[in-house]
Amino acid sequence: MFDPETLIRKGLPKGHFKDRIVRTLLSGVTYSIVLIAALLFGKIVVDGAPVLFKAEAPFVDLEFLTAKNETLHVFDDEKGNRYQLPASQYSAYVVKNGAEAIFNEQTYSYSGGGIIGPIAGTALLTIGSMMLALFFGVSAAIYLSEYAKQSPFIHAVRLAILNLAGIPSIVFGLFGFSVFVLIVPVITQDPSDRSILTIPLMISDYVISFQGWSSSLMAGCATLACMILPVIITASEESLRAVPQGFRDASLAMGATRWQTIRKCVLPFSLPGILTSSLLAITRVAGETAPIMFTAAVAAKDDLPWEGVDGPLDVLSSQVQALPYHIYTLAARIPNSEYTQRAQYGSVFVFLVLVAILSLGSVILRSKLRSKLKW
Amino acid sequence: MQAAAPPNPEAPHRFQKRGFSSEKAIKFFFASNAGLTIVILVLIIVFLLKEGLGFFPGYQRELSVYRIAGLEFVDISRKNLTAHEQLTSVLNRAYFAEINGKSAKELQRYQEASALFNAYTDQIGPTRDLVLNNTQEGSTADSEILTSLRANFQKQKDKALEALPDTPHLSAKERQDLIESIRLRAVDSTEDPPLVVTLTDEYSAAQQKHSEPLRAMRATIDTFESAGYDLSSLVSEMTEAVTVTKEKIQSADILQKDRKTLLAAAENAEDPVERERLKADALASLADKPDIEGPMKLLMERKSACVEVNTKLKESTSGIVKELPTSLTQPEAIRLLDVGRRAWPVFLADLEKTPAAINSWNHQIPVPLSAAISSFLTGKNWVTGGEWQDFYGILPLAVGSLMIAIVALIIAIPTGIGAAIYVNQFASSREQELIKPVIEFIQAIPSVVLGFIGILVFGTILRDVSQWDSLQWIPGFPIEERLNIFTAGCLLALMSIPTIFSLAEDALNNVPSAYAEASEALGASRVQTTFRVIIPAAFSGILAAILLGFGRVIGETMVVLLVAGNRIKIPDFTAGLGAFFQPTHTLTGIIAQELGEVPLGSVHYRALFVVGILLFVVVLAINATAHRFVSKMKH
Repeated sequence: MFDPETLIRKGLPKGHFKDRIVRTLLSGVTYSIVLIAALLFGKIVVDGAPVLFKAEAPFVDLEFLTAKNETLHVFDDEKGNRYQLPASQYSAYVVKNGAEAIFNEQTYSYSGGGIIGPIAGTALLTIGSMMLALFFGVSAAIYLSEYAKQSPFIHAVRLAILNLAGIPSIVFGLFGFSVFVLIVPVITQDPSDRSILTIPLMISDYVISFQGWSSSLMAGCATLACMILPVIITASEESLRAVPQGFRDASLAMGATRWQTIRKCVLPFSLPGILTSSLLAITRVAGETAPIMFTAAVAAKDDLPWEGVDGPLDVLSSQVQALPYHIYTLAARIPNSEYTQRAQYGSVFVFLVLVAILSLGSVILRSKLRSKLKW
Repeated sequence: MQAAAPPNPEAPHRFQKRGFSSEKAIKFFFASNAGLTIVILVLIIVFLLKEGLGFFPGYQRELSVYRIAGLEFVDISRKNLTAHEQLTSVLNRAYFAEINGKSAKELQRYQEASALFNAYTDQIGPTRDLVLNNTQEGSTADSEILTSLRANFQKQKDKALEALPDTPHLSAKERQDLIESIRLRAVDSTEDPPLVVTLTDEYSAAQQKHSEPLRAMRATIDTFESAGYDLSSLVSEMTEAVTVTKEKIQSADILQKDRKTLLAAAENAEDPVERERLKADALASLADKPDIEGPMKLLMERKSACVEVNTKLKESTSGIVKELPTSLTQPEAIRLLDVGRRAWPVFLADLEKTPAAINSWNHQIPVPLSAAISSFLTGKNWVTGGEWQDFYGILPLAVGSLMIAIVALIIAIPTGIGAAIYVNQFASSREQELIKPVIEFIQAIPSVVLGFIGILVFGTILRDVSQWDSLQWIPGFPIEERLNIFTAGCLLALMSIPTIFSLAEDALNNVPSAYAEASEALGASRVQTTFRVIIPAAFSGILAAILLGFGRVIGETMVVLLVAGNRIKIPDFTAGLGAFFQPTHTLTGIIAQELGEVPLGSVHYRALFVVGILLFVVVLAINATAHRFVSKMKH
């Protein structure tokens, strides 16, 4: 009947009033953050969703997701009807009706068509860099959690991870530019003038030339992988350490070697954790602009990455469009008008929805994981 | 019986070959992957230094040319000229601020009426042009098209007349009349509506009326302005002369480099004939050494003229400050005049020192390397790609980065830590389940999206809000540029809140529960426990959170590149706190903006790498301090 806590608190009426003020203040601050996040997301959804969805069935308009990016032409015909056509349809219109039928023409770069190019580029960059980062990162984490003992080497590795994690992304951009774009070796028949060192191979004319990969998908993936490596290592080590020591002891006691133990008794149990935390790393890799500005991204490209190429190596060594860089271009390089808003808000909406799905996925997976894996 | 030593599970089986084993190879493989992190860190440092360190000798050479060619000599006088121009502009702005402030009512009415009219013409423009084009003489359009065009025009017109901007300072009748006159306008009329014409006249009459009492001020400003003409013409004459010398030296530098390349090629050439030819080429290019002394002598002959003109400028302007009016009424005009008054003694003092500087200047004094370094670290100008002289002074960029970080932290520290305290100490677990994912989501928002929001949404909102009459007491309002330090700071605050929040919450979480229990057992309330026991115990962790948030803000690129306004200038601190509403540029932004455009290996290119090194060092120092706090807390 009598809540002891209320009884005790009754003795402190002055403090109680102050308590409530402080509480209200703090909760106000906290919920204002939530509110701002909601407003931001709401604004983008309200302005961006109409690009992708429409009122009549089938409600989804996938053209924006599947069409290539083009220049937008806005013009009137002789009756004063306003047209907004991407470059390809525009030229068809001109061929059909003649150039005299165009009045008040304005053009907006990057604003017509869809965003399949940037989406494909970002997907390739993300897949490539995550593959690299997961391979090297998980291996490094295995060493740190399974093999390492206190030694100067381990100390240096931990220090390096800590420092790498703090480096600003633009510095990674500089690093990627000066190493992957300008220096790293390639095997080629005609080395460029920029090459700082060429080593002839004995097979026909081929030489190893230290001339870099120039701005390309490869260089971008490598730069992004370097940037995300510390995050992957830290997360993977945490997951590996979460596997109880008893699993390892039991396995080793049965006569398994250390590698067999890792492969059969540690990795399978930590893999879900590693993958969950890499989902968050994906959102970071996909969203970074500064490291790929000089190493991989290009503002306009007519072909998709896999079109008009000779082979996989050609894909890797060509530049790509990327969603974050595309948004940067749309926000900074073109004048803002009612005709560009479709492209601008549409791209941001698609991007934000991708990020939201990924981070929501990681939250859900994590809570599932927690309830499932209890030892 | 003694127990046998347990067999070491890692030891190879005794039948296995000694030395190499697959287990060892696997271990080595993993170790080398761990070592990769060290390799990457070392590579980053090595390549930043490799590209960056060449900057200082290169910049030293550029500064030497700047001196040898006499550009520096001209800049002594130019500095005074610039100061004079700025002062003139401040006085002029004060003058017009006074007049416009007094005729503010007329100005507003005129602006509103013409804004309304312009909104209408913008809307109907295209359809109107179509009608006009087709009704011109010689046009072949048939009547059917013409009718449809006219109908279209009428439709557009009706639409436009419905969506006109507000005119709070026009009476309802005036607005009605204006709209009516627009409605009745002929298609091909080019005249303004009568009300707009009246208001324009009223406005210029008001300007006329209010400029009457300021006649003395106008005359004073004009006298001051004309005092600078002599200096201006002298400087532009000298500029032409020294630019020619500079170009000569630069082309000689290029030849020198060619010669080196040729000589190196001659060394490597195997064919003796080829070697001789290359050597001859190299020697031939050596021949034209630029004549520096000749032009320099001519320049030095102007020394006395320079001294004279500068002294004359000082004499003719020193008295003018007393003639400026003291009884201005508009706050903006008073502020500007005050700025001018305060700058006056500085201007005169600089003029005072000028003759000595001119006389002691000598082109033969060498530029030491330390001068290049200090000019980089403390230079107030970052000027690149100019015709005159490139300067790489990072002060404007560093100040910009710092001011943005200050704004961001002032907002993010109370909110981030407040939220952490609330979530950790007061919130129910259901609230936690709502708040934590939201903040995690904010962390996941890519920075370029935030920058986009800043450009298209937040900047515009901020500018509109700054025009509210009730907010005019805030310094810097109404803001001139929607992209400025404050806009960028707000968005970066949003970026750093998640960092500060999660680290501060960790720190609070790590306080042993016994502390809180003991405090509650003594009868302390929850708030008392939180603020007197838990927060002090978690203090160093919270400090680390703030520092890491600071590191994140300093290193962030895309938001500042998009939103900070990208003007390379130290903000004008005479505007007081209004300086926070000016556009600026940042250390990170300059790299992102310029690296794509510079020639590889140029001094400018290397300068960007030095900025990168600086960022690297600063951010690492901040992070190292933060981690020290964290480890202090753990013990």
